[in-house]
Amino acid sequence: MKKLSFKNSLLLISALVAFSLIASMGFGVVELGHKAVWQCITQTCEKSIYETILWEIRFPRVLLGFIAGFGLAIAGALMQNVTRNPLADPYLFGIVSGAGLGATLTQFLPTTVQVITLPIASFLGSLLAVGIILIVIYQNNWRRIEHLLLAGVAVSFLLSSLTSFILYSGEAFSTNRVIFWLMGSLARANSTALLWISPVIIVATIIAILLGRQLDALLLSDDSARTLGIKVEKLRIITLILCAAITAVIVSYCGGIGFIGLMIPHMVRPFVGITSSKLFIAAGLVGGCFLVWVDVIARTALGGQEIPIGVITSAMGSLFFLALLRKM
Amino acid sequence: MSSFVLQANSLTWRVNEKHILSDINLHIKAGETVAIVGPNGAGKTSLLKCLYGEYSNFLGDIYLNGKSLKTFNIKDIAKKIAVVSQHSESAFNLTVLDIVAMGLIPHKGLFDTNTDVDRHNIEQALTKVDLINKKNQIFSTLSGGEQQRVLIARAIVQAPDILIMDEPTNHLDMYYQHQILMLAKTLNITLLITIHDLNLAAQYCDRIIMLNNGKLVADDTPEAVFTSSKLTEVFKLECAIDKNPFTQSTRITFSGINHCVNDESAWLHS
Repeated sequence: MKKLSFKNSLLLISALVAFSLIASMGFGVVELGHKAVWQCITQTCEKSIYETILWEIRFPRVLLGFIAGFGLAIAGALMQNVTRNPLADPYLFGIVSGAGLGATLTQFLPTTVQVITLPIASFLGSLLAVGIILIVIYQNNWRRIEHLLLAGVAVSFLLSSLTSFILYSGEAFSTNRVIFWLMGSLARANSTALLWISPVIIVATIIAILLGRQLDALLLSDDSARTLGIKVEKLRIITLILCAAITAVIVSYCGGIGFIGLMIPHMVRPFVGITSSKLFIAAGLVGGCFLVWVDVIARTALGGQEIPIGVITSAMGSLFFLALLRKM
Repeated sequence: MSSFVLQANSLTWRVNEKHILSDINLHIKAGETVAIVGPNGAGKTSLLKCLYGEYSNFLGDIYLNGKSLKTFNIKDIAKKIAVVSQHSESAFNLTVLDIVAMGLIPHKGLFDTNTDVDRHNIEQALTKVDLINKKNQIFSTLSGGEQQRVLIARAIVQAPDILIMDEPTNHLDMYYQHQILMLAKTLNITLLITIHDLNLAAQYCDRIIMLNNGKLVADDTPEAVFTSSKLTEVFKLECAIDKNPFTQSTRITFSGINHCVNDESAWLHS
């Protein structure tokens, strides 16, 4: 089979994005039908209730799904290229465990402020995780890339154990709320969430693409990158901070949505190659579509009841992980 | 301006108070092909790493085109010096083209894209190393000799004044060893090569720098450096010197361990 050029791959992916964004809005508890959705987009809605459902409920949710999937896939591609490890994922770095700890600690605050503080607390928790890793690695002089991965796994377990202890000794209602949040959901979609998440993802994506050429230098080895004039340690810190910002901001609103960062870059590499900028763009777009459709499954599979989105991505992701290991 | 492209004055490099390199003085002229030889642990790779700026915490001075190396930033060094070193396997399927294009990195800023001239230079480099037909192949699937040629093509795209090669003939068969060194010579730039095969060094290099225990013990033409007494002193093996009948370059033949001149290998006979 002849390989598609990057331009053609991008055209194909863009068509998939347009189709996914429009078609996914037809699914939900209230069946609008694709004809009605198309009519709402191109002319005016048949009924005013459709207008409310489509533009005030479905559209923000689909858009949030797309942006979150886009960000998580780019963060995964960044982590994999910068560590030269095909199994790296932003979630390996304790970012979700940090967010979980932050969310868990909010139960000690008065109930009235918890809705506002939950995203902020989880964001701070994510930053705490990355902060600990950076301090450990900095003191270790960034000697080996494996240390970064090991520090991530250790911090992840440390923060998870703290969370588990607090949940174990905590009050049942708060515990349930935090556990449900940790499973991930796009139900929180509203303009505040979009305004909070979108700028971070857009800025981080632009920086990642601009750094693409430098990140390519790392793909062979650190020594090789240095001989090409790359400040390897500085580049790695910048990349790690970018990943942390992308993941933390998504996790703080959407909870734990695992494995997208691991899976999507592997899915797009055969089509667009492994050089960073092309990979980031393609992974982002495919990641966005992927989460949009997973959310369709989440909100329609069980009729009126929503399945936490992280449950689906984790199930699919872990199977993908195992298939990947068999291939490696 | 100095006539030397690369110069080291009293270069000393220590790790935890252990001297890896002691008081090295060397001068490389433009266009020369210089081999750095010596036993394992003599400090060859460490010397190279100091010369191309990987280690900056050395004592003494290194000058690149007459300017102290410490005044250059890492990117400017990469514009002047390309390095072909022993590489590790990448976990990802990099293509030949991906790797050769890396040669552009030192010359590009954040907002620069590849121009038609860049693409032409990449094609030219691949033609020069005779890999244009394999440009879309996965790097790790190539033979050792082809992989070295890909890295040389990357160095050509990097357009440096000096090419440093760290043991470029390791793991290659006879044919490829000669092919790689011939190819490097045809680039007509200054070459600095660490190499274990002294016969290859004698055949392809204008000058030999010999290191032992971190000290420079000889710096002269192959004929002057490769003497029986000097080689026996450094490599602890008896040796015979004559001429390669094909090239008339110095030919060195070492004895086996049975003729070992020190006690280090006594345990082999016990």
